[in-house]
Amino acid sequence: MEVKFAVKRYDPITNADKSTQTYTAEVDEGDMVLDALLQIRDEQDPTLAFRGSCRTGFCGDCTMTVNGKGAIACRTKVKKAWDGAEDGAIELEPLKMSRQMKDLVYNAREFHWNKFRAVEPWVDPVQPPEKGEHLVPGGHDKHLTESMRCTQCGLCDQGCTVLVVDKTFVGPAALTKAYRVVADERDSRKRQRLDKLSLPRGMWDCTHCFEASEHCPKYIEPTDRIFDLHDMAIKAEAGPPKVVHHYKSFAASVKAHGWLDEGRLAIETEGFTNVKGLMKLLPLAVKAGLKGKHPMPYMLHKKRPGHEQIKRIFEKWESKG
Amino acid sequence: MTTNGQVKTKYAFYPGCVSKGGCPELYEAVVQVAEKLGFELDDKALESAGCTGAGVLSKEVSDPINARTFAMAEAAGLEIMTICSTCQGIMTQAHHRLKDEEYRAMINRDFLAEEGLEYKGTTVIRHMLWAIVEDFGLDKLKSMVKRPLNGLPIAHFYGCYMKRPPELMVPKEFAKTRKTALEDVIEALGGKAVKTSGRGKCCGFPILTSNEDNSMAMLGDHTLDAKAKGVKAMVTPCPLCHLQLDGKQADAEAHKQEEIDMPVFHLPQLVGLALGFTPKEMNLQRHLVSTKSIEEELGIGVEVKA
Amino acid sequence: MPQHDVLVVGGGFAGLRAALGARASGADVGILSKVHPMRSHSSGAHSGINAALKSGDSWETHAKDTIAAGGDLSDRSAVEVMCQSAAEDVVALEHMGVIFNRDEEGRIDVTTFPGSSQARTAFVGDSAGHVILQVLFEQIVRSEIRIYDEWFAASLLMEDGMCKGVIARDLRTGELHPFHSKAVVMATGNLGQMYNGGTCSLTGTGDGVALAYRAGVPLIDMEMVQYHPTTLADRGILITEGVRAEGAHLVNKKGERFMERYDAEAMEMSTRDVVARAAMTEVRKNRGDKGHVFLDMRHLDKARMTARLQETLWLMDDLEGLDPSEALIPVKPGMHRPLGGIKIDTFGDTGTPGLYAAGECASTGAHGANRLGGNSLLDCIVFGRRAGESASRYVRGATWSPATADLVREQEEMLNEVTAKDANSDTAGAIRRDLGEIMDKNVGMVRNLRGLRKAANSVAKLQERFGALGIRDKSGAYNVELRAIREVGNMLDVAQVIIGSAEARQESRGCHFRSDFEARDDENWMKRIVAMHSEDGPKLDYEPVEAG
Repeated sequence: MEVKFAVKRYDPITNADKSTQTYTAEVDEGDMVLDALLQIRDEQDPTLAFRGSCRTGFCGDCTMTVNGKGAIACRTKVKKAWDGAEDGAIELEPLKMSRQMKDLVYNAREFHWNKFRAVEPWVDPVQPPEKGEHLVPGGHDKHLTESMRCTQCGLCDQGCTVLVVDKTFVGPAALTKAYRVVADERDSRKRQRLDKLSLPRGMWDCTHCFEASEHCPKYIEPTDRIFDLHDMAIKAEAGPPKVVHHYKSFAASVKAHGWLDEGRLAIETEGFTNVKGLMKLLPLAVKAGLKGKHPMPYMLHKKRPGHEQIKRIFEKWESKG
Repeated sequence: MTTNGQVKTKYAFYPGCVSKGGCPELYEAVVQVAEKLGFELDDKALESAGCTGAGVLSKEVSDPINARTFAMAEAAGLEIMTICSTCQGIMTQAHHRLKDEEYRAMINRDFLAEEGLEYKGTTVIRHMLWAIVEDFGLDKLKSMVKRPLNGLPIAHFYGCYMKRPPELMVPKEFAKTRKTALEDVIEALGGKAVKTSGRGKCCGFPILTSNEDNSMAMLGDHTLDAKAKGVKAMVTPCPLCHLQLDGKQADAEAHKQEEIDMPVFHLPQLVGLALGFTPKEMNLQRHLVSTKSIEEELGIGVEVKA
Repeated sequence: MPQHDVLVVGGGFAGLRAALGARASGADVGILSKVHPMRSHSSGAHSGINAALKSGDSWETHAKDTIAAGGDLSDRSAVEVMCQSAAEDVVALEHMGVIFNRDEEGRIDVTTFPGSSQARTAFVGDSAGHVILQVLFEQIVRSEIRIYDEWFAASLLMEDGMCKGVIARDLRTGELHPFHSKAVVMATGNLGQMYNGGTCSLTGTGDGVALAYRAGVPLIDMEMVQYHPTTLADRGILITEGVRAEGAHLVNKKGERFMERYDAEAMEMSTRDVVARAAMTEVRKNRGDKGHVFLDMRHLDKARMTARLQETLWLMDDLEGLDPSEALIPVKPGMHRPLGGIKIDTFGDTGTPGLYAAGECASTGAHGANRLGGNSLLDCIVFGRRAGESASRYVRGATWSPATADLVREQEEMLNEVTAKDANSDTAGAIRRDLGEIMDKNVGMVRNLRGLRKAANSVAKLQERFGALGIRDKSGAYNVELRAIREVGNMLDVAQVIIGSAEARQESRGCHFRSDFEARDDENWMKRIVAMHSEDGPKLDYEPVEAG
């Protein structure tokens, strides 16, 4: 079948103004986008730059933006992309979160690998057994095993809502990698890692909007893995005081009342002794209070019927460890 | 059957904490609009249900709490109706995990049995937006409009939890109704749904505590993009998004150093206005960003009998 | 100007393991690779890694299986080193953080791969390669080893009879830079791109083999090109042997389990050469369907498949839209990996001072004429480590001076020649496709004199086309045209050696099958073929194999 590709081209020297070039290719029904690009490069235009290596979706190299959405070129059927093409051509661009270096090549080092390094992505074993392997009865955790499927393709980062406004956020790809290490029972630095991940631009900047999970081609569910990191941090009381307060207060409120007490949450999050933080809350609280919108601080929170049962569930969970 | 021939649908109503806490205007709007549509909201079935955990609590404790809620609705033989995307999202995810029989049995055994409850895995949870589109029907909604929105350009803002994870929130069997549910409601009410870049993105509310700058940047981007596209108001099915979009808009203006002035409606408020409720009945005066401009556009001031 | 004690070229299993080995023994190490290490072909290895880890198994049994599978052509000392080190090296990977499937006690679990007499393959679902590569890379980052990713090694700096580094092109800028190093470890991997429809990644262009060959370093076993029995029929994507290890059947279009005809005892669990040839024979005898046979997985337990073969299931679904619990999977043999390469001893030593090699670009002879599934990863890990350690030892004692400026200039001028030439309508990619066709047809699973001569002539013609290539892209940034020209040049040189060696071996053994010499000939051919570069093409020599 005949298909058109509109490629957003760029070269720092010969094509600095980023023109779009359209290629027409005769491809097989079963071809992947990467197959088609290789064909175009071999038969029409040897200057067309794109990445690609394993052809099977294991290496993460050929990630690009297809019709506006992040995709693994070797696992994306041309036919599907063609069916989804809006302006009579399959639109191809590099991943958008980083600089375009040339044609479909983005700057992976500056964006991707630096973040990867930042989470210290290696296992530091406690003390490897003198003889033989570590014993892992029952096998490794399911989520740990799944997180090792990550190819660092960058699609979750491309989907991330926070990275759009703040490129310094560590991002879901690196956090998934962090999870892989923190969740590994053989690692000896869990607490330290959770502390480090709690620094500004770290894991608490995630909004858990599930974009990362939606974009992950390996079904690792990075958003859930970040949730897991949060859980582990709260349990270990790692993390910025404000955030820990927020979580603890939230849990305490639900535990005591069965549901959430927002006024209490706001105050406890800032910390009772954090005068500056409390002052910051005041304008909104007063304004909202006047409008009858926001519950005023110290408003008495009514317990919900059934709160004893919620409390019981909490206690049961806590006793489970 | 009600007097005007509608099929009355009864739900176990789960209002969530925000509609009773930070956004009381939502709760009141929902009660009135639901009655108008003929939805019977049973507020007794889940009277003693707990918070969903809102994605803050560990799944280890929130799953049992949610299973308890599902069990109560199941016992009452009712679907759950939520009016909050976060409640809906967290519940749907818990619901999905509880499909695993082994897991459900553990939760029943360890957490629910003592109270004499058991969750059998059958409960359906439906956000009011979906109930309107799926149970009530857009045509019927259209026929009830008394104050059409006159082609007013309105941005639909789903927030993060109504659409993701897609395989749970917009499964194949509901692709038709849920993909464009909010746009379809806007159009049924006579408005014009305007696509903005933030429509399915996070509003920034969850990181208000941990990174206010980013939170404000996100809020600012979403509202300013709407403004740039000529949008006159935004509408959201999520009260947390509303807390952010409306409640924190002034801070976003300060952050962006730019005036935004974008009125933001809770979904039921917009429906209510079109069905003829007064701004006062919909508690629009409680918003921090004034909705007067919209009221003027719609020629409100002259009372229309609801 | 980048300078390291040891420069490793290539970032797959062998390269990363070599770098870690060299680093652990004290050397300053750099890794240079044309793709980021995590993008290496190693990531696509599904199977697992062999080691006699369980009671009842022994390295000797492992060695025996390896030699038997290799048609008795294996270098015995290489087999010994590899199998003897296996357990320790696999456990070392575990200590680094590889997650491996576990048995009930929590120890590393093993499964039985085709050709092995014992359960001996440690695995991670069906993505052992991806996980091991990932963990090796984690350790590289931990060791603060400098990585030059997206750099293309274009030639070796050879002076005073030693290797003194490489000249490499920075793909970002297009600039050439000399990398001065006391030792180079060549670990550039596969050369499968000279075949069409093989299992090899796009990066497998035999770069290291060609560089060493042109620099006068001997190649060995080049006629041995292994085909994998099961690749997805339409696109040569590997379907792991793990599928057969789990009990999948191979059937022809009549639904017969045809392995009965070829190896009634082992059936689908026979060695790769036998199974691949069986599948091909079925197709030739018109018992195949449109050039392929089928994998039948329909009787396998679904839950177990999901647990053990998840990536394979996704591959089948994404690429072919097939669910193996319902449909037959069309497969055919596909070119998988060369068994030959740069001639090395068990220390990774090429015999040229300063030049070491490991992995798929090299050969110790451990695999003889056919490789066992699960031995490839092991080869890369064991000999990768040893090459790194040897290089590190060597640089401690080496008297060394950097390559002279004259040599660097001369090499750079040679490498930049093509950039000054204007392009004709031909492209490196078109030449590669034509080369693939020739190799598939004449230098594939079945060879004969006529076909090999024809291939030699055709490749000579491609060399002429190659010589006339020029450049369209005048920019330095990510000049993929320039890289493709280098790569196809490398493949053409190496193809000549494969063809020459295949013509010389007048017998059939393991993966080398000559339709004009169908029998194995132990009297004349218990020897390996060594090839040296000369002006008139490869010059061949022979090295006897000690049987026993």
